[in-house]
Amino acid sequence: MDVIAGLGQGFLVAFDPINLLYCFIGVFIGTLVGVLPGIGPVSAMSLLLPVTLSGTPESGIIMMAGIYYGSMYGGSTTAVLVNIPGEAASVVTCIDGHEMAKRGRAGPALGIAALGSFVAGTFSIVALMLVAPMLAKVAVAFGPPEYFSLMVLGLSILSFLTQGSMAKALLMAAVGVVIGLIGLDQINAMPRLTFDRLELVDGIGLIPVVMGLFGVAEILTNIEQQVRRDIVQSRIGSLWPSKEDLKASAGPVARGTVLGFLLGILPGGGAVIASFASYAIEKKLSRTPERFGQGAIEGVAGPESANNAAAGGAFIPLMTLGIPPNVVMALLLGAFVIHGLQPGPLMMSQNPQIFWGIVASMYVGNIMLLVLNMPLIGMWVQVLKAPYKILFPLILMFCIVGVFASGNAVFDVFVMIGTGVLGYLMRKFGYEAAPLVLAFVLGPMLENNLRKSLILSEGTFDIFVVRPISLVCLAIAGVLLIAPLLPALRKKREKVALDAVE
Amino acid sequence: MMLRRAELWGGLFWLAVGAFVTWQGWLLELGTLREPGSGFVFFWLGLIISAFATFIAIGGVRGGGPLLGDLWRGARWRNVLLVVLALIAFGFMFERLGFVICSLALLLFLMTVVDPVRPVLSIPIAVIAAGGVWYVLEKMLLVQLPKGSWIEDLILF
Repeated sequence: MDVIAGLGQGFLVAFDPINLLYCFIGVFIGTLVGVLPGIGPVSAMSLLLPVTLSGTPESGIIMMAGIYYGSMYGGSTTAVLVNIPGEAASVVTCIDGHEMAKRGRAGPALGIAALGSFVAGTFSIVALMLVAPMLAKVAVAFGPPEYFSLMVLGLSILSFLTQGSMAKALLMAAVGVVIGLIGLDQINAMPRLTFDRLELVDGIGLIPVVMGLFGVAEILTNIEQQVRRDIVQSRIGSLWPSKEDLKASAGPVARGTVLGFLLGILPGGGAVIASFASYAIEKKLSRTPERFGQGAIEGVAGPESANNAAAGGAFIPLMTLGIPPNVVMALLLGAFVIHGLQPGPLMMSQNPQIFWGIVASMYVGNIMLLVLNMPLIGMWVQVLKAPYKILFPLILMFCIVGVFASGNAVFDVFVMIGTGVLGYLMRKFGYEAAPLVLAFVLGPMLENNLRKSLILSEGTFDIFVVRPISLVCLAIAGVLLIAPLLPALRKKREKVALDAVE
Repeated sequence: MMLRRAELWGGLFWLAVGAFVTWQGWLLELGTLREPGSGFVFFWLGLIISAFATFIAIGGVRGGGPLLGDLWRGARWRNVLLVVLALIAFGFMFERLGFVICSLALLLFLMTVVDPVRPVLSIPIAVIAAGGVWYVLEKMLLVQLPKGSWIEDLILF
């Protein structure tokens, strides 16, 4: 009954005309950045974070959430038509989606991507609505040791699932925590690594770091290559998949939805991992795995459903525990904090209109996305034809403006340039930015909870193992961390990436 | 050959970072386990970074991974350099020249020198983008952008 009453309250918020407008702007921009290669949801959300200040908290957060799940939809268009992932979670869609397009089946590929995304998105919202209140009740009992262990688990999962070297991912996570701790010590207000610069006393801002590592670094990587876009020229035709297509896709959509939702909830998991895992599973379950890579519709339906379901699932740890499971949610946490709100177990009781408003707006947004992505596909194809040499200067200018507007300081622009160059070099040398950014956000919470736990336990580490939740989290993290040393587990980890790439 | 391995240099860079963080943690005071000090987490993170960096550098010494030159083979690195220099110049001139002039200059530079676009396109795009962003931020969202110290000097004069 609580859920229904909450949802009713949520729809009142979501149907407020101004919130409908923000929701539309969010899903529209989300689809746009999903379609455009070279700018992802992370950059777009950082760019628009300052804009949310002008409205109410629910409006701003509804818009930010819309950008995220909107980009999951839009990414598939570029993947299918150009063979370039519009955003990271669509990498897998390129494999079979573009093959389908080359064989004159771009319409059904785009159609099943949109339908699968809609089904998965709707399922994940229903599940979010049912699971979040239960988890919030459990989370009230969490203390510093549980929070610390959960964050360690999140970073371990993210490092375990990165495609590159795990040592590099863990190194990045450690560097991220260090950067996140720059500024005043939360406990005794001592300045740390500030080098007597006043700008560093409050720490380094999330937006300049994210814009640098994702926005500027992406542009620097793209402009050193001759970007060639081989857009499918044949007519897209009917988007509605045939009966056979729908029959073949039903299983992958259902499996992708459940898998994506579960992986989305896990701290460190997310849409990218979900889409890769779904592809690997569908290929394994198929009676004709040789069709994968040759234009199998299951290879589009499963991953596209998985990445959308994961986008919904990722809201659970943020809303119930206050812990962002991935970089996008870290930005959303930033949006909450800017508005003076702290997501966590008490959010549903203290700010029900925000929680339920976001949930209800996701239903509305999902329907908007279906309309934006099916009948308006021609418009997105035109957007795709914009040359990169015109797009990248504009994106770069928006990055600078977004960063400056977030803190009104030129220093932040320099931080963005610095992290942009660092991000570019990291890509060159095979270091991933995602563990760094997640650790950057979790760093202060991680340190705070570690120190509080040690103070509570009077200096013994027993506190982390005598509490069951903490023990389970640390045990799983331990297994993941020693995995590369055990040949069987190492093979399994490498297989997750290989199955998808093959 | 070993000295040209990318992994070795990457590892050495992070080893230096790790050593620096460890040292800073030590200077900030470690405290005790009962009451960890401000440098406690930094110190241990520095050691962790150093350990992983050493592992990566050793991998490079053993001959794993690409050579430094391979990373930029066939890449248009001049473009990267030009964009970075343009951004740095933008950062230094932003407050002095103001948002509109700096943005116009940046956009025109990128669309003329880095990856050329026909002037008939680049000029209107630069003017509309810079002017449009200024209007939306300054007039609609009330975000204050630098007007340029030269304008303030001019007004005072």
